[in-house]
Amino acid sequence: MNPVEIQHVSKSFGDAVALADVTAAVPRHSIVGLIGRNGSGKSTLLRHMTGLLLPDAGECVTLGLPAAKLGPAELARIGVMDQHAHFVEWMTGTQLMRYVSSFYTTWDRALERDLTELLEVDASARVGAMSPGHVQRLALVLASCHHPELLLLDEPLSDLDPIARQTVLRLLLDRFSRDDLTIVISSHMLRDIEPVVNRIVCLHEGRLVADADSDALRERFAEWIVTSRAGSLPSAFDDPFVVSAQGDAHRARLLVRDVAATDAARFEAAHDAAIEARPLTLEQIFPVLTQQASGQGRPRDAAEAGGVAR
Amino acid sequence: MLIVVDSHNGVPVYRQIVDQVRFQVTAGLVGPGAELPSTRGLSQELGINPMTVSKAYGLLEAEGLVVRRAGLPLVVAKRPRAVEAEAKATRLGALLEPVAVAARQLGIDNETALDLFRRALKDVTRPEESRT
Repeated sequence: MNPVEIQHVSKSFGDAVALADVTAAVPRHSIVGLIGRNGSGKSTLLRHMTGLLLPDAGECVTLGLPAAKLGPAELARIGVMDQHAHFVEWMTGTQLMRYVSSFYTTWDRALERDLTELLEVDASARVGAMSPGHVQRLALVLASCHHPELLLLDEPLSDLDPIARQTVLRLLLDRFSRDDLTIVISSHMLRDIEPVVNRIVCLHEGRLVADADSDALRERFAEWIVTSRAGSLPSAFDDPFVVSAQGDAHRARLLVRDVAATDAARFEAAHDAAIEARPLTLEQIFPVLTQQASGQGRPRDAAEAGGVAR
Repeated sequence: MLIVVDSHNGVPVYRQIVDQVRFQVTAGLVGPGAELPSTRGLSQELGINPMTVSKAYGLLEAEGLVVRRAGLPLVVAKRPRAVEAEAKATRLGALLEPVAVAARQLGIDNETALDLFRRALKDVTRPEESRT
């Protein structure tokens, strides 16, 4: 059973469509990167997972229950970190930790000490006096110390400096290695999360454009530097696997996707050219995922396991 | 065994790990019985998902390059000489491929290209050969 199953979820706020028929799964013991541009529906989707928002249509099943029916027993197994946490400002970090810990029977004081130290949280300071970065680190401690089996993190890196980002990601990896933990992490810091996540869910304008193993997703795309011997490259390529092309008759840079085994050799022969294939990073694939989605029909094959919408 | 990866060069990290272990083993930098870092250890050290490490180790195991023993670290396997020689040839072949592409792009004919490779080999002659 997947910890989270999102089935045909749609949600609108007035006239604004936030989620349009989104189907995706969060497999057990995985770290899922939830990516998308601002306003693409990432936070809305995360809020559906805990029942904070209810879908207009479809269903979000979390820990085996429709999210609306989650009770204290299930919620105690989930850790949540909101993008901009609103904590009681007059409390100190320590007071807040004592307060939050009182809701959980599984709260781990030793882990609390370790994480507070590792994340350099000044627990004696008043929450209202903390910088956004410090509040964010405190929020991670508060979301983690009851040993949740599902950790939902909305932009946990946004207010952190590069060093703190690495500390947080290593901490998550450590928790992930020790507990039977499933993590969903939404972020714009694609370079930071890329090595940490093993699945990618990408939203664009409320629609799902990718739900795939991150290596498999990356290996579907490549950059080709094409050099023609005769200087006879056309200005446009009509091969179905070419996403975009730039260059001149002698040399072109192509973005390609879903290239079949024989495509490269056939392409080289057809254009009397040599191909130098390079892999792409998540950051380079991201614009392709989000561009192709706009202006075209609703992605149909995206819901299939490992699928990417065309 | 030291394994380093560049998470930002686009090559999937599991492949970088496989390539590096493969290289170190075939080049004889590490011998049979040498231990690989633990999955959790390497994950922490490199800041990568432990499943990426498992995936790489699984591929190396399927390839017969490393062996798994219950509850112990993975170790480099002992392999027959013929297999070793083939692995070395495959490795060099893979490194030569981009060179071959460059030769084509530059319009260098096969004979000239081979001559250049022979010259390059001469320049890095092994020490024991240069003494004779």
